[in-house]
Amino acid sequence: MVGAIVEFATLPLVEFPFESNYVRSIVYVSLYVSLTAVLLSTLVSLPVAMLVGFAEFPGRRLAIALINTGMGLPSVVVGLAVLFLVSNQGPLGTFDLVFTKEAMIMSQFVLATPVITGVSLAAVTGVDEGVRDASYALGGTRLDVALVTIKEARYGIATGVLAGLGRAISEVGSVLIVGGNIAGADGTAITRTLTTAIQLEARQGRFELALVLGAILLVLVLLVNAVVLRLGGGRI
Amino acid sequence: MSDRVIETPHRRVEDGIVATDVSHGFDDTGVLDEISLGLERGEILAVIGPSGTGKTTLLELLAAFYPPNEGEIRMNGGDVWSQSERERLAARRRIGMVFQEPNLFDTTVRRNVSYGLHVRRDWRSRLREWGTRLFGEGTSLPVTEALETVGLADVATQTVRSLSGGEAQRVAFARALAYDPDVLLLDEPTSDLDPRNTAVIEDAIGTARNQGIGVAVATHDMHQAERLADRVAVMLDGSLIEVGPTERVFSDPDDPRARRFIDGELVYTAGEKGD
Amino acid sequence: MHRREFVATLGVGGAVAIAGCGDTDDSGDAEITDETLTLTTTTSTYDTGLVDELTLAFEERFGAEVAVVNEGTGAALETGRRGDADVVMVHARSLEDEFIREGYGVNRRDLMFNDFVVVGPDDDPAGIDGTSDVTEAFRSIADFESVFVSRGDSSGTYAKERELWEVAGLEPGGEWYREAGSGMGQVLVQTDQSDGYTLADRGSFLSMRSQLSIGIRVEGPIQDGPELLANPYGIVAVNPAVHDNVAYDLALAYIGFLTSQAGQDVIESYTVDGEQLFFPRALSAEPNFEQYVPEDWTREEG
Repeated sequence: MVGAIVEFATLPLVEFPFESNYVRSIVYVSLYVSLTAVLLSTLVSLPVAMLVGFAEFPGRRLAIALINTGMGLPSVVVGLAVLFLVSNQGPLGTFDLVFTKEAMIMSQFVLATPVITGVSLAAVTGVDEGVRDASYALGGTRLDVALVTIKEARYGIATGVLAGLGRAISEVGSVLIVGGNIAGADGTAITRTLTTAIQLEARQGRFELALVLGAILLVLVLLVNAVVLRLGGGRI
Repeated sequence: MSDRVIETPHRRVEDGIVATDVSHGFDDTGVLDEISLGLERGEILAVIGPSGTGKTTLLELLAAFYPPNEGEIRMNGGDVWSQSERERLAARRRIGMVFQEPNLFDTTVRRNVSYGLHVRRDWRSRLREWGTRLFGEGTSLPVTEALETVGLADVATQTVRSLSGGEAQRVAFARALAYDPDVLLLDEPTSDLDPRNTAVIEDAIGTARNQGIGVAVATHDMHQAERLADRVAVMLDGSLIEVGPTERVFSDPDDPRARRFIDGELVYTAGEKGD
Repeated sequence: MHRREFVATLGVGGAVAIAGCGDTDDSGDAEITDETLTLTTTTSTYDTGLVDELTLAFEERFGAEVAVVNEGTGAALETGRRGDADVVMVHARSLEDEFIREGYGVNRRDLMFNDFVVVGPDDDPAGIDGTSDVTEAFRSIADFESVFVSRGDSSGTYAKERELWEVAGLEPGGEWYREAGSGMGQVLVQTDQSDGYTLADRGSFLSMRSQLSIGIRVEGPIQDGPELLANPYGIVAVNPAVHDNVAYDLALAYIGFLTSQAGQDVIESYTVDGEQLFFPRALSAEPNFEQYVPEDWTREEG
């Protein structure tokens, strides 16, 4: 589903003089991996942020500390950890995940979740308590209050999601290690993303192609940041 | 001399909320001391007293936000805190509440006002509602009627950010009315408003009472209490020192402190309790 | 000769057997659907483009997919040890021998060879141009303290470089000796930009030559240079007895294909900028037992 949307969105790139299939498949891999990782991460991060923000439980302070520390996890370290997890020798070896896009999604999930959770936590706890009380007083269940809180915090949460997406799409360390930077002999990227491709092409001295890929990555990152700025501005 | 005022026994509140011997405090600080008070349908009860005397806590307890440290909260005869979550939720859903701040949701007026109706639906119809929202919204009668009560039927499609403070509070009032509650609890609803918006809300309070809703209004504005209320309860230091029909309480209160408060003297609370 | 035929038949036979077991249609060719062969190789080998060429030919012949992971020599072997790869192609005989000795690799074959060259600036500050004594050349570079960029990683190239310094009796160090810790392409670019010397495999150098201003100062054995600069490539399958879920039969089909005349032809005809990069070595009428066991293996080892 995500793949179909991405394929459609990258159709304009066919006009490229450079090995259009190669570039298009690389963009597809990058978007597929990062978007899926961020989507899954958001589904987990929001309930966690609500829990940490509003529930009392032993170790709550520890959870907050973990979230903040997690935001700064080096991508190569996460990549190594996930590699050992999914390696044939590792605990998840039977699932044949090493050198697949799925493993890359796993590692980017780990990278994005603390960011999205942390920013969402700030956003939801920043919601006016009076509004939460109003939701409850009007006959809402605790779930209703939670939904209202998320809705009221939507701009902050969106900022967090986009920050997570920016982090995922720009990182090279973890996807290189768990994905293996594989491209078929026909030039179709399997686990080669924009970042790992740039790294490879630059290494081989193919600087023009590397710059083209870099430009595409830059455009994507700028797009993400532009949306963030617009959302942030719209709040006030 | 007894400081406690108990509702006369023959007044059995069938159809509203009754607090019996309710005491409550937070973190070792007492706020309410053995309050017994009832709110019936079809009446306006003003709860007056200096700020910090526990009016908000009392309203929150009546709204079943949290259980009182001591005492009972009964709704339609049943002790809400002995009931199951589901029964208590059903009891809570008969209550409407308006706070001193509008506390509106960051969306359109219409969606604010319909919120109460929305949460009372089961999930399937809620999803259907969300689905139809994508293709434009229809108007619903209760929403329109509630907005008309506060004179704002024409702003239904605006976002709340475009409203003035007074308009926002009126929308908050409509929001609490829209699902036809049995009782309305209002915590200083007009203290931040100009006279015109105050008048609109007081009008709406009267309309609500005439529709059979029991309205409790916490206020520090004595003139408002005199204007609106059928009955008045006077609180001081977390205790109920006087309660009765408005005219009697204002012209001839039993408790001297109540008299002093009504006469406009601020009654300081430290060390004055019955000695 | 019989051995070669036997291995090739084994590979093809294995492939055909799989095809028979799988739920494929009768498409004539031996096709192994849903199976991917994971091959690890070095960055320098991969960057020449030969591996993609071989992969295309193999995929056409067998229908299976090949996923090629390019990493450093050390990492490529490590991946094999973990069982995350099915077949490994590197050019570091001592490391390959270690791999086999530890029991992780089986069915090793000589694949091809090229050589190393010492490249440097045209004005040749260390004065080594044209010499056939590479050890002496290294000593000159050290004496003149000319910039030398080293791979500084676990690659076959670095292993060869270390060997040469050792033979020259030197331990290089100082401002002129720069350990890059990166791939061959990057090292060549860095050498070019600092007008220094480096040891490169001929293939990488040739495929990047058009972007560089440095040239070959000491030739390798392919152009009559010293044997010391030879760079042989080996291919070895990961032992299925250690990791029972490696695609062993596919790996042998791959090895069989690469060491068959068809594969060796692809290798021989692969050129960059009109120059041949690799020289086939798998097929020989003369027996070549050394390719199957560690170089210094003796019977007593057992």
